[in-house]
Amino acid sequence: MALLEVKNLDVRFAVRGGDLTALRGISFSLDKGERLGLVGESGAGKSVAAFSILNLIAQPGYIAGGQILFEGKDLAAMSERELRKIRGNRIAMIFQDPMMTLNPVLTIGTQMVEAIKAHRRISTKDARAIAVDKLRKVQIPSPEKRLDQYPHELSGGMRQRVIIAIALLLDPEIIIADEPTTALDVTIQAEIMALLLDLCEQENVALMLITHDLGVVSQVSQRMLVMYSGRIIEQGPTREIINDAQHPYTQGLINALPQMGEPGARLFQIPGAMPSLKNVPSGCPFNPRCSFATDECRRTMPEYVRAGNVDVACYEVERLIAQEQQAREVTP
Amino acid sequence: MSASPLVDIRGLEKKFDLSGSLLEQVSFKNGRFQRKQEAVHAINGVNLQVFKGEALCVVGESGCGKSTVARTIMGLLSPTAGEVHYEGKRIDTLEGKALLPYRRKMQMIFQNPYASLNPRMTIQQTLEEPIHFHHPEWSKADVLNKVQEVMQSVGIDPDWGSRFGHEFSGGQRQRIAIARALAVDPEFIVADEPISALDVSIQAQVLNLMMDAQESRNLTYLFITHDLAVVEHFGTRVAVMYLGRVCELAPTKALFASPRHPYTQALLSAIPRLEDGRPNYIRLQGEVPTPVNLPSGCVFHGRCPYANDRCRQEIPELFATDDGGQVACHGVEEGRL
Repeated sequence: MALLEVKNLDVRFAVRGGDLTALRGISFSLDKGERLGLVGESGAGKSVAAFSILNLIAQPGYIAGGQILFEGKDLAAMSERELRKIRGNRIAMIFQDPMMTLNPVLTIGTQMVEAIKAHRRISTKDARAIAVDKLRKVQIPSPEKRLDQYPHELSGGMRQRVIIAIALLLDPEIIIADEPTTALDVTIQAEIMALLLDLCEQENVALMLITHDLGVVSQVSQRMLVMYSGRIIEQGPTREIINDAQHPYTQGLINALPQMGEPGARLFQIPGAMPSLKNVPSGCPFNPRCSFATDECRRTMPEYVRAGNVDVACYEVERLIAQEQQAREVTP
Repeated sequence: MSASPLVDIRGLEKKFDLSGSLLEQVSFKNGRFQRKQEAVHAINGVNLQVFKGEALCVVGESGCGKSTVARTIMGLLSPTAGEVHYEGKRIDTLEGKALLPYRRKMQMIFQNPYASLNPRMTIQQTLEEPIHFHHPEWSKADVLNKVQEVMQSVGIDPDWGSRFGHEFSGGQRQRIAIARALAVDPEFIVADEPISALDVSIQAQVLNLMMDAQESRNLTYLFITHDLAVVEHFGTRVAVMYLGRVCELAPTKALFASPRHPYTQALLSAIPRLEDGRPNYIRLQGEVPTPVNLPSGCVFHGRCPYANDRCRQEIPELFATDDGGQVACHGVEEGRL
């Protein structure tokens, strides 16, 4: 059984003039110790997906359907009290901006001890010892001294290390990291990503990494999901998708990267922009930007088909697979 | 590349005073008054030449002074020391009317298209304003034609002129910002992180647009960015900055093929590449020091794995290497690296 299994999750936002569907039929699973990348552009629903796993979707958002099974128990149907035992304890979260996540008026130590004591009956002295141990794990020099410092005394990279240490405090099974390095410089980003990867491997923690950076996903994750307009349009092993993307959107996203183009030549570009949730086109949400779109694409949302080990929601891929099969039958 | 540069900056320095007024500087300690002055050393002696038709990219991490260089060239900030020349004429000392023709020839594109368009002006007004300002003698029809032309050239429907900035997506807004820069037929465009706020698929659209404009209008770019993958694609030459100094300046191909400066090497290795299965990068010790108290000698020595006593004392100057670039590193100069 998978550690975390999301089944057919629908998340909606109740706004004036009707509900907006932010997530539609999201299904995926995460095994113990697995690293999963979640890619998409802004507005695709990546962060909503992350927040809804911990049932942290705030008003006017709500989970309209589906299940979030953590060790077989449905988080979507759990009471606040039960959820609190899981949040931060079994499933930890790392957010994008380290300055926003840490409380500026409390010392690092106070915040770390508070987090431990919220979940365990333990003396302050023991809690501090755990905190020092975790700070050492994230390679913060002289951790005892850091405990009495305030967040503003640390640099951006150091702060993000502290956040990772806080996420690790209670030895969670899953860490959800929402764009953990977007606010950081490239060299610091590389260090933080390598650290996160090492820690997850050492402690056998599952990682769900949300990012818009395909390069980062390719370095860190074993499997990846590609989201577009609230749907997962492609999911499978990372290497397979990066090397041979099936969905036209994923292909476009990869080919639009400057590192894919010849220097000085025009980059591949996907025309248009992602639709807003207010007017998602009928059928496949990508159809107005897709060069393969047919009437069928404009009418109905494609189901997932299997190409290799990758699940793709695309009629064009379906057609190609059918053609291949036919060709194989004709020439046995 | 022509022999004389279009833009030439020499020995540029910029300090931002942190100490405030005299009263804030004075403190009473140990029975005596003390006066303390502090400044952020944003740029410390930068020499750069931009040649006609090229795209010079300036890269570096946050706080390295790349945006300050851009703003100082544009005259939005006045340099503490050093000179800015445009087509052989010194422009940083010009004022008022004398500066006006240069303002037209040099235009800027900013990072955040949500902040750089006036929310209370329609797109038509936004695009007309620079034309009215620089060509007051133009007739209404001329202005209108020009606005239509630039809108078309950046792929914005001219019928959308009566809309406001907030009605557009980020990518469209950045197109409008580019159109505004192009409206007065500039020769030189400074683009300060023009695609950093945009999504990947939109970044490609805007980069293509900028490259098309460069070709059709014979533009020269100074392109400020922290994204090295974009530089590799877009730049003719690259200047790598660290703590207010240029540490390496080289043609793009040469820089990416064989980076010489240890900092450039670390920076290039940190780009996450699609073909990587794991992060592999050159580890630097510590973090970027504060620009308030600059390290002595080479600004990079505290993090450099190859630093020796000379690096800690003597500031390295840029010198030409055999592959057509310039690098400021004692180690490379001595042949140690």
